[in-house]
Amino acid sequence: MTDDILRTTDLTKRFGALTANDGISLSVERGEIRGIIGPNGSGKTTFFNTVTGFYQPDSGSVHFDGEEVTGWEPHRLARRGLGRTFQIVSPFKNMTVRQNMLAVQTDDDRSREEKRDRAGEIMEFLEIDHIADNEARGMSGGQQKLLELGRVLMLDPEVVMLDEPAAGVNPALESRIMDHIHELNDEGRTFVVIEHDMHVMKTLADSVSVFDSGSHIAQGDFEEVSQDDAVREAYLGGTTAEDDEVPI
Amino acid sequence: MSGPVPSLDRLPGDPRYWYAGLAVLLVAWPLLFGAFWARIGLGALMWIGLAQSWNMIGGYAGYLDFGHGAYFGIGAFAAGIAMAQFGYPFLVGFGLAIVVSSIVSYLVAVPTLRLTGAYFAIATWAFAESIKQTALVTGITGGTFGLSLPRSPDTFVGVPVPFAISETFFYYAMLVLCLATMALTYYLFERHEFGYRVKALRDDQDAAESLGIDTTRVKRQVYVLSCVVAAVFGSVHAWYIVYIHPNDVLAPIITDRMVIMALLGGLGTLTGPVAGGLLVFLLERLSSVFLGSTTFYLPLIGVLIMVTVLFAPSGIIGILRGEVDRDDVRKNVKELGEKFDLL
Repeated sequence: MTDDILRTTDLTKRFGALTANDGISLSVERGEIRGIIGPNGSGKTTFFNTVTGFYQPDSGSVHFDGEEVTGWEPHRLARRGLGRTFQIVSPFKNMTVRQNMLAVQTDDDRSREEKRDRAGEIMEFLEIDHIADNEARGMSGGQQKLLELGRVLMLDPEVVMLDEPAAGVNPALESRIMDHIHELNDEGRTFVVIEHDMHVMKTLADSVSVFDSGSHIAQGDFEEVSQDDAVREAYLGGTTAEDDEVPI
Repeated sequence: MSGPVPSLDRLPGDPRYWYAGLAVLLVAWPLLFGAFWARIGLGALMWIGLAQSWNMIGGYAGYLDFGHGAYFGIGAFAAGIAMAQFGYPFLVGFGLAIVVSSIVSYLVAVPTLRLTGAYFAIATWAFAESIKQTALVTGITGGTFGLSLPRSPDTFVGVPVPFAISETFFYYAMLVLCLATMALTYYLFERHEFGYRVKALRDDQDAAESLGIDTTRVKRQVYVLSCVVAAVFGSVHAWYIVYIHPNDVLAPIITDRMVIMALLGGLGTLTGPVAGGLLVFLLERLSSVFLGSTTFYLPLIGVLIMVTVLFAPSGIIGILRGEVDRDDVRKNVKELGEKFDLL
């Protein structure tokens, strides 16, 4: 018996005539790192937005930690323990890094001092404590990604959904971000990660879900899905390539 | 913990002496300079407070409220009706201004804060206009005749007070309100997590929601708070000027001034409304007194707004902080020059 922390059932989201998510049923086990891949426009980010409450699904349901959370407002889901980041990094630029961290709102009864301590610990863990009192507008793209992850960790989430955490990040920082994700995963946090970089996905994800044209077409470990005919079809438009994995 | 540094900290020497000097000057102002300058000081303090009230929703939260002046009028009429129509002392009117403005602003906030940008601005402007028109045709507000408020030693708390309800009294009343507004803004918007959440929703509402911030609730809280502050100033102003009319205390120019003051001074900053409030109010008053023109300041303000928007979007405070990007200024000057064939 699996211990699913996140489960969607027949989740459908339409924008007019376009069905961005078409009956997606997907389960994420507690403690795993699940990768989500798929060509551009396959519905990955729409899936994130629908699961985290930014879009209302047209049909289907979302269960989180045993509770149905379909249609919950984003802030309520965040406080419940479902954290997320965005494809386009969005720090609050007119605030310092520390203030960005302290803006996060939780339902726990931590005192202000405890929250400040927690923010300090997270910044230290992510190695951005040396710029804690700098304005976020002056941070590099990679540092902004770390800040985004740090803010999500202030929620103390059980599940963290990351939308392209390595996009636009230099290799050294990318490696640091991946290390942090592994460390947090070792602590028991579950991750759902959208990523286009297949090398990252291969080393990061325990299992991978593949989306194409709004549908969930395959699931398994990276090697399995890279050999899957439907996945090859989605990426290459056919199975004639000699490559033994989906293209990068 | 860092944050925006109050401007006096940047002056040479120990800032405590500067703060102490400023405090002494503010307290001694009417005693040192007499009734005329007390009146100027009183007006400046009121407009600084009003600009700060608008800055809460317009600057910190980023919602351009073009109906904010309505709450100044609602506060004025709440006090006016309590005192003129029912014979209550000012403190009851003051309390009524808080209660009425809280209720009205909440009822307005629920539908209008679903809108953003120009739609929110238009909706709030329409609300303000409807309040003004309603006040003009309603008996309890005095309609087109307006209301005259009583002012005697027993109209403050209901029993005679041992001091005169004079120009000096109102100067100190405005000083207390203005300092309280500044202190509230500093604590809530610059030091407290609440302020960080307000700025977060201004910068990126979706990101704020994803971090557990109930943006709908926070927006309503800021809106109601900013409206109550405007109403409080309106109630004191009504008692000070003794006669109120919808065309005066509900005039659109009241909102316009608040917006201009905050914009010129620096949106979303603690000291911006102080700088902008002083500049605009003094330009208006002093040009009226010394040049004999009540409109001379208007083209000046127009030019200042254009210069601010084009070259120093962070206002006077931004210039003082060195936030003006010279390359941007050069670029804008060049574009303008080319556009108007000046270069």
